[in-house]
Amino acid sequence: MSDSQEILAPFPGIFYRRTDPGSDPLVELGQEIAVGDVIALVEVMKMFHEVQSTIAGTVLEFCVEDGDAIAMGQALAKIATKL
Amino acid sequence: MSTYTQFVDGSQASFGGDEFIFVEVATDMDLEATLRVIALTDAVSSAEISGVTDICPAHVSYMVRIDPDIRDPREVLPILEEIHERKAQESKLVIESRIIEMPILYQDPWSHDVLMRFRDRHQDPNASDLEYCARINGFASVDEFISAHSSRLHIATFVAFMPGNAECYQLVPKDLQLEAPKYVRPRTDTPDRALGFGGAFSTIYPVQGAGGFQLLGRCAVPVYEAKQPFGPFETNAVLPKGGDIFKYRPIDMGEYEEIRQQVEAGTYKYRIGVLEFDLSRFREDPIGYPLTLAEALP
Amino acid sequence: MITVVQPGLYTTVQDRGRFGFYGVGFPPSGSMDQYSSAVANILVGNNPDAAVLETTFLGPTLEFEQDANVALTGASVDITLDGISIPLWTSVSVKKGQVLAFGGAIAGVRNYLAITGGINVKPMMGSRSTYVASHLGGYEGRVLKPGDRLEILQDSEPKEVRVGCEIPEDLRVTPRAHQEIRIVSGLCHYLLDPQSQELLISKPFTISTEANRTGYRLKGDQLSFVERRQPFGAGSDPSNVVNLGYPVGSLQAPSGLELICLMRDAVTGGGYATLATVISVDLDILSQMKFPETVSFESVSLETALQLRSERAQRLRNIAELVNSIA
Repeated sequence: MSDSQEILAPFPGIFYRRTDPGSDPLVELGQEIAVGDVIALVEVMKMFHEVQSTIAGTVLEFCVEDGDAIAMGQALAKIATKL
Repeated sequence: MSTYTQFVDGSQASFGGDEFIFVEVATDMDLEATLRVIALTDAVSSAEISGVTDICPAHVSYMVRIDPDIRDPREVLPILEEIHERKAQESKLVIESRIIEMPILYQDPWSHDVLMRFRDRHQDPNASDLEYCARINGFASVDEFISAHSSRLHIATFVAFMPGNAECYQLVPKDLQLEAPKYVRPRTDTPDRALGFGGAFSTIYPVQGAGGFQLLGRCAVPVYEAKQPFGPFETNAVLPKGGDIFKYRPIDMGEYEEIRQQVEAGTYKYRIGVLEFDLSRFREDPIGYPLTLAEALP
Repeated sequence: MITVVQPGLYTTVQDRGRFGFYGVGFPPSGSMDQYSSAVANILVGNNPDAAVLETTFLGPTLEFEQDANVALTGASVDITLDGISIPLWTSVSVKKGQVLAFGGAIAGVRNYLAITGGINVKPMMGSRSTYVASHLGGYEGRVLKPGDRLEILQDSEPKEVRVGCEIPEDLRVTPRAHQEIRIVSGLCHYLLDPQSQELLISKPFTISTEANRTGYRLKGDQLSFVERRQPFGAGSDPSNVVNLGYPVGSLQAPSGLELICLMRDAVTGGGYATLATVISVDLDILSQMKFPETVSFESVSLETALQLRSERAQRLRNIAELVNSIA
């Protein structure tokens, strides 16, 4: 059995899954993550901020595309949690 | 009340929200208009209008900032109008000014390093900024261009954008103005104190940062100093004022290093002379008159 | 002393702003939402010039090394004192050793934290406001960092304020996802073509992710300028003018592509035509807005702008009376 929860955007900005354009994504779909793992970056006020997971589980889906503008509180990723 | 108020001298005034009045004296860049702006803003300053917190001259326009909690800006507009009427009747255009010597290491290694990193953003990727400026202004060599740039005086006509920035127009007739376009795309880096040149304007970059002017050299002394104020910076972190006249004196690396030590020790003394600039005398003798101004340097 | 445990996203020391140096390139800086900032000061008995902390989206975690009265105003946010929620728009007593922690803003952008006496940084050119671009004022001319220690100014004649004093709901700021923002036409408005003059006040604009203390970029329909001979020294784009001064709150549209509203840390001048100016009261409102919220511009007279400004001043006087009567 599993359930899914969403990681929400902490502030508005530009969403990035990579630390720089040439590198691999910080996390892949299907990857196991723990609370505190960095899953993405948000660029706000010319600074990059790490989005840390608030949930432990498996990455099911990213709800926004790399480089998209995101609103505060918007769902960024769905994480499957073990019950 | 209509949006715009026309003054008798052709200037056009309007409100910038509840805190600003904007006055456009002219729309084209023109030395006479600049000097009128300086004379007008000096007069506004002398009038000590209550509620006016800031007076901001630009090339051919100016703004005043008003604290509406102290004074209704609608009462300030007729005071400005009266100053314009009074100034329009004066035939002489004379401003109080200062002449300030700026020691410049033209072709310095630091600006050169930076500008070489951004050749892909420049009109001429195969030349240095100075080589490009010399060529497009019809000089056979960089040295001749430096000699032309440093031998003329430069008057600050736009002291805004950021603290310490002072865009200076050359005190020579329009047909003798040196000109250069800004970079095709701005650099993301410029050394602090770099001497930049764009359009017909020269400026010294107050702090390190982005910029689009051609880089000619580096000034040994700061135009902005907030951290360790010395000399002129003790009361104001910014050196230049609108209407200041700058003399760029070419120096070599030895003298540059010597002056840097004095600046860092806080012992450097700026060479500043006080003078009056008379537009009609400049018009009569645009070559000879500036030479007499340079004599005001101590 | 107060120790900064976590600085938050972009936390600076601000006050009413810097006056008298606009003409040499210093924008006023100061609290973006002047109303919320003023209310916070009133709630702790400070004078209107006292320095406060301004937060952005996510405020700091602060450890108090002394007793103090504090008040928090501005954006809707969860704030805890030693893990227990405390109310906003209310004066609160903090004891030595307690930790004040901000959550993320739920609605709105900026919070103001006033502390009795005010934050004591060295005034620079008449103000304690931080101007980050020139590394001037505030705490070492920059945003707060972990480990910074903030000193509190000891007021020689502190005003007694009752702890728990609360601002009524109707005098608080209510962030909304769409706002009417009022502007006064003027400056180079005459350079906009008639259709664009109409478009500016009839179509909504969306706040972009580039919206900060320097400026707010807004997306909407493109604007176009009247055809004219470009003035000597202006540059070739129709939105270019010979460099002129930029009022705080002025709107510009480089190449007509997007609208920029200049905020309190903006450059003081440049080469783009200025089209109209957001009235000072509505700059407070805009300061609490963010991507992807929307605004509609409404053109008002200067009379209206001044009337609204004096109403804001009256509200602040009413609040001061209310707070003092409770004390």
